[in-house]
Amino acid sequence: MTFELDSVYIEERSRDSVLAARITRAIAPEVPIIFVPDGRAAAMPDSGADPFGAGKRRMIVMRRRTPFLTACPAGSSRFACCGYLVLALASNCPMDCSYCFLQEYLADNPGFQVFSNYADAFEELERLSHASPGRHFRVGTGDLADSLAFDSLTGLSGDLISYFAARENLTLELKTKTGEIGNLVRVDPRGRVMVSWTLSPEAVFQSSEHRAAPPSARIAAARAVLDAGYRVGFHFDPIISYAGAERDYAQLADALLDSIPAARISLISMGGLRMTPALRAAARRRFPGDSMLCGEDVLAPDGRYRTFTPLRLKLYRTLAARFERAGAKFPAYLCMEPASVHERVFGVAPRLPATIGERLAQA
Amino acid sequence: MSGNAKRASTVEASVECQIRGLAAERHLPAPHLEQWLGLDEPSRASFLEIARKLRLRTGQLLAALDMLAEIAVRERLDVAAILSKPSVARIVDGRGSAPARAHEFIEELRALRFPRLRAALDRIRTEVAALKLPRGARLVLPKQLGSDELTIELRVRSVAELEKFISMLGERRAALARIVAMLGGDDDV
Repeated sequence: MTFELDSVYIEERSRDSVLAARITRAIAPEVPIIFVPDGRAAAMPDSGADPFGAGKRRMIVMRRRTPFLTACPAGSSRFACCGYLVLALASNCPMDCSYCFLQEYLADNPGFQVFSNYADAFEELERLSHASPGRHFRVGTGDLADSLAFDSLTGLSGDLISYFAARENLTLELKTKTGEIGNLVRVDPRGRVMVSWTLSPEAVFQSSEHRAAPPSARIAAARAVLDAGYRVGFHFDPIISYAGAERDYAQLADALLDSIPAARISLISMGGLRMTPALRAAARRRFPGDSMLCGEDVLAPDGRYRTFTPLRLKLYRTLAARFERAGAKFPAYLCMEPASVHERVFGVAPRLPATIGERLAQA
Repeated sequence: MSGNAKRASTVEASVECQIRGLAAERHLPAPHLEQWLGLDEPSRASFLEIARKLRLRTGQLLAALDMLAEIAVRERLDVAAILSKPSVARIVDGRGSAPARAHEFIEELRALRFPRLRAALDRIRTEVAALKLPRGARLVLPKQLGSDELTIELRVRSVAELEKFISMLGERRAALARIVAMLGGDDDV
């Protein structure tokens, strides 16, 4: 994908890092490189009309001061969670989806940070791995950033795949909305890496997913990495209700299954559009004409705006039925939904957290 | 400036002046006043006319402006076109007191803003009404169907009353199950 970087800031302590060298080599020559003592200052919002949007164009190569490995921030005792672990190698994303939670989550530090001391993350993973022998974990880098959107600059996927390919009890999930798979097809993941795509119908892509790859390109990229030895997963998240949504989501599932048989899909997740009042306000301020932000959303008991329950569940069921008909046997889960909703959609209570990782290990 | 252009500009200035006047009278928050003034000229004028005619209160003005903005985005219409829909015009020009029509007007905007929610609620409420629950028993639907949880309230003062209610619920088991299923989307939403 084409980056629109205004500038690259490099923290002094990261000046000689591998990451700084790779990025300096890869960026367009006209992008200014500025060395700063502390990258955190450069990550703060600027005083312009759209500080979050401006943050996306200001890349900061800096050290991460807090742990790389954390539990998924979406987790809560209210929800039946999937046990996903997040490896934060970057923060913010060059794409600009109107519904993105980062608009609220990163409002105070929207600069596009990439962390030069990423090798420390491997030590954290080693500790996790040794502390829990016999258990299997699914670890992803696509929470605070798209996993592959900036891979042409950082080449991080190569380091990650090399590490995970040699670990029996860890599965790496690279989550993306791009077709940036150039670096992946050159490495053998030895079955330990899953690449997953967020999929939305064309209408949502057109209206809301700015600078992301079209849905058909995402499916084509998935097919290509599958053929290169990767496992693939798909996240129908956020599912947005709009006129014709049931038809469009069903067609999207059909298009996916036409290209990738259900038996070769490792994971499906679904999640309805959910927005805190602050996120909704920020999103509507930045994208006032996006009709996808004006669905039939009501304030749910968890304090988020969500599509009213019967309609949201109907959309889940439409998709779940499609995959069931195709003979799907892969793990499927609902993100940020209570156990009662899982039971209504899949007909069974959700399994315990972390079992997604275990099931992936067994599949 | 031509005569026509001058006249149009005077009318616009007068509409703006009237909107500001009404906003001050109703203590309309500044962002909502800006939102109103930010509409195209026919839209702001037609909303002014309705606000006057129905004597919309502050809360109703706020709710109407918010919903109109969202309906405009959803349906890709300007506010004047929304306000001239037959279902809205019938209320605005209909009979009855201004407060009653104001209430109806807001409800109609809500139906335009949340058409499927409104239809689902109507269907579920019809099922609830058909239960003909006795006094002391009540079904509470989740607010705006924001969850799938159905609350059944029973007010009892004796064991006999409690047993009567439990048996009454047992007799209505199938209908109650249908309502629970509808809350979970087992319905033509």
